[in-house]
Amino acid sequence: MAVRSQPSALATHAQAIVGFALLLLAQYTVRPLIGGRAPIDFLAIAVLFSAVRLRPGAAALLGFAVGLTIDALQPDSFGAATLAFTLVGYGASWLKAVFFADHIALTGLFVFVGKWVYDGVYNFAGPRLGGVDLVVQLLLWTPLAAALTALVAVLLLTVFRPLYRPYTK
Amino acid sequence: MARAVRTASQLDTGLLVACGVLAVVALVMPRWMQNSVSTAIRRTVLAPFVHMQQKAEVMRTTIVTRDSVQQRKADSLGLTLDAPQLAHENDQLRHLIGLGARLQHGFVAAEVLRTGTLDHEFTLTVSQGSNAGVELFTPIVTADGLVGKVVSVDPTFSTAISWAHPDFAVSAMSVDGAAFGIVKPHLGTGAQRWLLELNGVPFRAPLKIGTEIVSSGLGGTYSRGIPIGTVIGELQTTEKWVRTYMLKPAVLPNTPGPVLLMIPSRSAKDVNGVWMNIASSDSAARAIVMSGDSMAKKAALAEIAARRAVDSVTVDSLRGDSLARLGLPRDTPPPQPDTIKKLLHADTTKRPKPDSVAGKPKPPTGPPPPSEEGVMESSWL
Repeated sequence: MAVRSQPSALATHAQAIVGFALLLLAQYTVRPLIGGRAPIDFLAIAVLFSAVRLRPGAAALLGFAVGLTIDALQPDSFGAATLAFTLVGYGASWLKAVFFADHIALTGLFVFVGKWVYDGVYNFAGPRLGGVDLVVQLLLWTPLAAALTALVAVLLLTVFRPLYRPYTK
Repeated sequence: MARAVRTASQLDTGLLVACGVLAVVALVMPRWMQNSVSTAIRRTVLAPFVHMQQKAEVMRTTIVTRDSVQQRKADSLGLTLDAPQLAHENDQLRHLIGLGARLQHGFVAAEVLRTGTLDHEFTLTVSQGSNAGVELFTPIVTADGLVGKVVSVDPTFSTAISWAHPDFAVSAMSVDGAAFGIVKPHLGTGAQRWLLELNGVPFRAPLKIGTEIVSSGLGGTYSRGIPIGTVIGELQTTEKWVRTYMLKPAVLPNTPGPVLLMIPSRSAKDVNGVWMNIASSDSAARAIVMSGDSMAKKAALAEIAARRAVDSVTVDSLRGDSLARLGLPRDTPPPQPDTIKKLLHADTTKRPKPDSVAGKPKPPTGPPPPSEEGVMESSWL
């Protein structure tokens, strides 16, 4: 696994915070501009990119907090995003050694799977969809959204490499 | 080392379980509690993000709807521009329908397909031809008056010249028939090119400004009574024995819209009264005044008749009173005038004068008695 030498801890944390803040900002500014049925999930990218820098417990906590902010804006499924991001954050952090190598394609696949799992948990836990709609959502729109999110994640990792490059402990 | 790893792993698991349990609790908590928590988060931590999201959504809506808004603006602008034209066209059609109803027969409705171009400024193309009975020199009219005449006929369309064409001429007269002349286009420059001239009016027949000029029917091409224009002034010419007047045309040749072509069978007949002209308005006004006068006269006659009736009643009542005063019963047959005269003459000191009996009674000095108020008032007049 090709992982670069680790810079100072302060710089690492600063980069992580800035990267997370930018993705958070994009979630509430860029995503509404794009719209569409399969939107790009910048918060999923933020949670996944942050999870690989954190321990699974901390990643679960981060996922919980991020999910709570999403649920606050969607009161009809309050708690679903919290549960989904908790699981995704913990799982991403636990699987970081396997998936999050310094490899673009693997990073894309990691984000794709993470986003799909998140949507799956969210749609199962949330009371919004059921039956055929749930199937269509999970097999059509969720993969599309996950693919778009993965594509954006790869682009971000390429363009903003210093911010989002993984530094494993 | 292994213990530290185990502790960290337990901590991670503990955090996962705690977060998972809290998430499930959030899922199953009552709706009001969910709303309270989400509202608190939205109003505190998420407030700036919510604001940004709203702005972004507004921006996206603006971007998405920009094209449709632009399209709507263009449509509304087009409607605004077209509205007066449509209203004018509707007005023309309404007038034309009214004109057709008054003409009753002998006309063909047509549309002006093309007004004069730059090289043929005073020609028109109309949408009816010989198939519809149009012939050469068929007059073209609108609800306002004369437009021109047909100079070329094809089966499905015709070409015409407007009154502004240099070759156009029509025998005309004042609407009251006091003055006759020939109307031709005024071949001036600028805006005056769109005026008409009434030539050859006898010197003894001056026309006032505002006099309406109609076709005279002489020559057979144009029916008598088609409005041509209105006198707006007299032109000074070298011909001192005749007058020439400037006319404001009844119809502007570049905006005739739908027209009627008066086919020859109709052109031979007069169309007096078909166009509602000023003269008819004046005559209508005069008729109203005369009607008012006759009504006043009738009322006066009725009043005279009523006054006579009252007078006769008064005479009868006075006769009755007189008979009573004279000691005669009321059922006595009416005495002869000479008898009354004799009786009255015998007691002149106590009786009213004969003229007050047979003629107009004297006006009373005080207020009239209430019971006979109406009768007395009418008798005082």
